[in-house]
Amino acid sequence: MCVELEPMEEMERELREAFQRRPAPPSLKRRLMEKRRTQRRPIHAAVWQRLAATLALAAVLGGAVEWRHREEERRKGEAAREQVLTALRITSHALDQVNTRLAAHDRGQE
Amino acid sequence: MKNRILIFVLAAAAWAAPALAQNSPLPLPPQMEKELAARASNVTEVTLGKNMLGFAAKFMNSKDRDETATRQLIQGLDGIYVREYTFDKEGQFSMDEVEQLRKYFETSEWSPLVRERDRKGGETTDVMVKLVNGETHGMFILEAAPKELTIVLILGPVRMEDLGKLKGIGGLGALGSVQKSMHKDKDKKGGNQ
Repeated sequence: MCVELEPMEEMERELREAFQRRPAPPSLKRRLMEKRRTQRRPIHAAVWQRLAATLALAAVLGGAVEWRHREEERRKGEAAREQVLTALRITSHALDQVNTRLAAHDRGQE
Repeated sequence: MKNRILIFVLAAAAWAAPALAQNSPLPLPPQMEKELAARASNVTEVTLGKNMLGFAAKFMNSKDRDETATRQLIQGLDGIYVREYTFDKEGQFSMDEVEQLRKYFETSEWSPLVRERDRKGGETTDVMVKLVNGETHGMFILEAAPKELTIVLILGPVRMEDLGKLKGIGGLGALGSVQKSMHKDKDKKGGNQ
């Protein structure tokens, strides 16, 4: 019986010691504050990261809008160019026919 | 008050009308244009104002000789207006309509360069140039065949030497030959009318 009680007493003693009120070490507050400060840094970093991501996204979106605008301009320009070439081809065809008729007219006179 | 609004509306319309009309200086009444387009089996319409020509000039391939020459030609122009109608059968347009178009250019500003009538074949050809201080500032081509009607109006300084450079585009340089033929013809009988 005595043999079984000994560990219990030992445990109680340890518990008592553990729950004994002790004053906080004087450096605890400073350490806690320091730790809090160091923990804040990742928050700042996250804000910067978010800002950088937003800026990158804005740049990508802006680039896409600009690219689309330029692509639209290029498409319109190509269409205008084609129209000019078509107009000149028709003009050329008409002038060729004029030339042919005048040549025929000349031959007729000769 | 109502009268004032009416006057304002009329004044605005009077102010806007020439601006709207400037969109296409082709002397083709819109109704006539619609009717011709409806009767034609194939229609090509090109309307390019000064701004559009300037814009198109930027997209000309500088490595291509013809396109470089085209850019030089169109940069100074005020507009190019082309209508080409192809018909399936003859008699889809009247000579009165053609005459109506031609009359528009029978002013002191425009000088006839070519006027050819082939009554047998039902073909007429008119080439007119607008001369300002002895320089060509416009060209009007009206070509009517039984199944084809072509109207070309080029406004602005047309440099014949630039036209001559456009060999690849179907031979726009043909104009030079047209002029030569015209002069030869004039020398022979004083005009080709």
